[in-house]
Amino acid sequence: MRFRKLTFLAAEIRESFFMAMNAVAAHKLRSALTLLGVLVGVFSIIVIMTAMRVLQSDVEKNIAGLGSQTFLIRKTPAISFSRPEGWEKVRRRKNITLQQGMRFEEKMTLARSIGLQSSFWAGAIETAHKKTAPDVRLVGATPGSFPARNWTLHEGRLLLDVDIDGARDICLLGNDLATNLYNNVSPVGERLKIDGINYTVVGVLEPNGSSTRGNQDNFAVIPITTGMSRYGRNWRSLEILVQAADEANYDACVEQAQGVLRAIRKVPPGQDNDFEIASNDSMIAQFQSFTLAVRIGAAVISSIALLAAGVGIMNIMLVSVTERTREIGIRRAIGAKKRNIMAQFIMEAIVLCELGGVVGVVLGILGGNATAYFLKLTPVIPVDWIVIGLVICSIVGIVFGTYPAWKAANLDPIESLRYE
Amino acid sequence: MNFVTELREGLSISWSAIRANKLRSVLTTLGIVIGIVTVTLMGTAIEGLNSAFVKSISFIGADVLYVQRVDWFPGSEKGWIDMQKRRDISLDQVRQMEKEMTLARAVAPVAISRELIKYEKRSATVMIIGSTEEYLTTSGVSVMQGRFFNESDSIGGRPFCVLGSEVATNLFPRESAIGKKVRIDQRPFEVIGVLEKQGNFMGDSLDAQAIIPLPQFNAAFLDRPDYQVQVKIKSIADLDNAKEELRSVMRRIRRVAPADPDDFGINQQDQVLSIFHRVAGTIAAVGLFITGLSLFVGGIGIMNIMFVSVAERTREIGIRKAIGAKRRTILLQFLIEAASICLMGGAIAIGIAWPLTLVMKKFLPASMSLTVVSIALLVSLVTGVVSGFFPAWRAARMNPVDALRNE
Repeated sequence: MRFRKLTFLAAEIRESFFMAMNAVAAHKLRSALTLLGVLVGVFSIIVIMTAMRVLQSDVEKNIAGLGSQTFLIRKTPAISFSRPEGWEKVRRRKNITLQQGMRFEEKMTLARSIGLQSSFWAGAIETAHKKTAPDVRLVGATPGSFPARNWTLHEGRLLLDVDIDGARDICLLGNDLATNLYNNVSPVGERLKIDGINYTVVGVLEPNGSSTRGNQDNFAVIPITTGMSRYGRNWRSLEILVQAADEANYDACVEQAQGVLRAIRKVPPGQDNDFEIASNDSMIAQFQSFTLAVRIGAAVISSIALLAAGVGIMNIMLVSVTERTREIGIRRAIGAKKRNIMAQFIMEAIVLCELGGVVGVVLGILGGNATAYFLKLTPVIPVDWIVIGLVICSIVGIVFGTYPAWKAANLDPIESLRYE
Repeated sequence: MNFVTELREGLSISWSAIRANKLRSVLTTLGIVIGIVTVTLMGTAIEGLNSAFVKSISFIGADVLYVQRVDWFPGSEKGWIDMQKRRDISLDQVRQMEKEMTLARAVAPVAISRELIKYEKRSATVMIIGSTEEYLTTSGVSVMQGRFFNESDSIGGRPFCVLGSEVATNLFPRESAIGKKVRIDQRPFEVIGVLEKQGNFMGDSLDAQAIIPLPQFNAAFLDRPDYQVQVKIKSIADLDNAKEELRSVMRRIRRVAPADPDDFGINQQDQVLSIFHRVAGTIAAVGLFITGLSLFVGGIGIMNIMFVSVAERTREIGIRKAIGAKRRTILLQFLIEAASICLMGGAIAIGIAWPLTLVMKKFLPASMSLTVVSIALLVSLVTGVVSGFFPAWRAARMNPVDALRNE
C-alpha cells in the first residue's frame, strides 16, 4: 500500500514536471524574462559570497603562518581592530624577555618544540655582487621556531643551540631571497652583509608561497641572541612559539604553558594572565567574529534582489493561471484533484526558479572568482553557498508559487470551463 | 490630435488598465518598490559614511600642511623602509623655515611622546605634545576652560600644561582641573587650560592628550625629538603655492641635492581624503551594484508584465489602430503605463525609505536629501521607460489587420 502510494507520488511529480517544462517552453519570452529575474537574484547572492570567501580564505591562510598544533604567546593581542576596554592595562604589561623565554623552554614538558622569535630590522641585504630591494625582513629565532613556523630546510642546516649560545653571525635565507641573491649557485657558506654586518649563510628554507600580505619567502633568519645584542634587548618583547606533541595533548599543553608562564612572570593567583595566547584557529575565529556583521549584512542585502524576483514570479504565475483557466477546468472535469492542480503550478514555479538558479550560481561563481583573478588569489568554489543558493531558489518558488497555485486549485471547474 | 491630448488620453487609458488588474499592478509596483528602497537606503548609508568620515578628520585642517620626516602614505613597503633612513627634522630647521616662509600664517613645531600623567591616585598613559603657542592656531583646537599658553609661557618654557577633555575628566572627575598640579612622568605641571572635546579618529581618542611648552618637553622627555611641523597657510586658495614654497624652502634648508627626491614629507588632509575616497568608492560601487541588481529585477518584472498586457490587449490595439491611432500614440500609451507604475513605485518607496533613514540616523549622520529623492524618482521613471519600451514597441508595430483577427 505504502509502496503504491510512493509510486503514485513519483508519477505525479514526473507528470507535473513535464507539464511545467511544456508551459515554460510554450511562452519562451515570458519564461526567459522570469528566469532572468531569478538568475540575477541568485547571481547577486553567489557573486558576493564567493568574492568574500576568496578574500576571507586568503586572510585565514596567512593570518598567523603557524604550523599545526602550534600556538603563539605574546605580550599584546595579535589582532585587534579597535582599542578594547582595559587597553591601558595591556600596554603596561611587562615585556617577555629572553630569560623568561629560556626558563619557559626548560620547564615545559608537554611541548614537542618551543621557539622564541622577534623581528629586528628590514632593509636591503648585500652580497659582494648584488643588493636586494630594501624590503627584506630580518627575523630572530631559536631552533624550536622552525617546526612551529612550518619552516623546512631546503639545503644546508638549521640553527643549533650552540649558534644561540654563541650568538654567532650566521643566517638562513628564505627561498626567494636565496634565488634572488645567488641565482642557481648554492648560497651555503657564502658571506653577505645585513645592515652593515657580515653574516655567513648556513642554510636555505623551502618556499612558503605568497599572498596579499606580500611575499612570504623574502626574509633572513638569525639566532635570536645575535639580533638582541645588535638591535637591543631593553624595549623588546619576544614571542614564544609552542608546538604541542600531538593533537590529544594540545589543550593540556596550552594549560601547562599558561601555568608555567604565570609562575615565571609572577602573576598572583586570581589575576588575569599578563600575556596573550593565540593559535591559528583562535585567530581565525576572532577574525570571523569581527567580520560576522559584514557577512550577515552582505547576505541580507544581496538576497533582496531574489525577493524582487520572487514577486515577479508570483505575478507571472497569476497571469499564467488566468490564461489557463480553461485547461484547469478540463483537468478538474476529467478527475484531477485540487492537490494535483496545486502540485502542477508549484512545480512550474520551482522549475522556473531552479532553471534561473543554476545559471545564476554558475555566473555568480565565475563573477566572484574574478576578484581572485584580479588580486591573484586562489579561486574558491563555495559548495555551501551553491547548495544554499539552490535551496533558496526552491523556497522562493514554493513561497511565491503557492498563492497562484492555490488560486488555480480553488477555481470552480464549471465556471472555469465556461471561461472565455 | 496634438501631443498633449495624446498624453492625457494615454494617462487615462493606462490608469484604467492599472485599475483593471489590481493585484497584478500591486505586485509589479512591489518589485519596483523593493528595488528603489534598497538603492535609496544604500545611497543614504554611503553618503552618511562619507560625511561621518569627513567629520572625523576635520581635526586635520584643510589649510594646514604637515611637514614630517615621513610621508603618511608611502605607497609601498619599500618606500616605507626607505623613509626610516631619513634624517630627523631639527628645531633649527623649523626656525629657519618659519623665517623663510612667506605664505604661512602660523608655524608650530610639534614633538610627541607617550608618558604617564598622574594626579593624586589617578593616572593614564597619554599622548604628550610639546609645542609653541602657535599650535592653538595650526591645530584648530579650542580651549573650553582656562587658557592656552601664550608666547612668553612658551619661550620661557614654564611648567604649564593644557589637557585634552578626556584626560581632564578622567583625572578630575569631580572638580575643575584649572590650577591643579599634575605629574607627567614625575615632573610637576600646572594645568592652565582644558580643551574642547574633539572625538575619535579610527578608534583612537583625540582627547587623550596633554600639551606642554616645547622647552619643557625638550628638558623633560626628548632633547632632540623628530619634529613634525604644522604650517597653517594664509588662505586656502594659496594651498598649492604654499606647498611648493614650503617644499623648496625645506629642500634648501635640508640641503637636498637638485636631482635627489625630497627627504621629508609634506602631508595634508587631501591625501587622507583621497585614500578614503578610493576605498569608499569601491565599497559604494559594490553596494550600489548589488542593490541596483534588485532594481534591475524589478524592471524585468515590469517588462514581463507589459508583454503580457500587450498580448492580452491585442484586439484593443487593433481597434484603436483601425480607427486611426498612430504608432506613436500606441507607443506612448504603453510607455505611460509602464512609467506610471514605476513612478508610483518610486513614490511609495520613498515613503518607506524615509522612516528607515530616521532609524539609520541613530548610527550615522544620514539624511535623505532632496537630491536623493529626486534621483530615486528619476531612476524609477527611467526604469519604467526602459523596461516598458520593448513591449510598447511591439504593440506599436502590430499590424492592425492581424491584431483585429487575434482571438
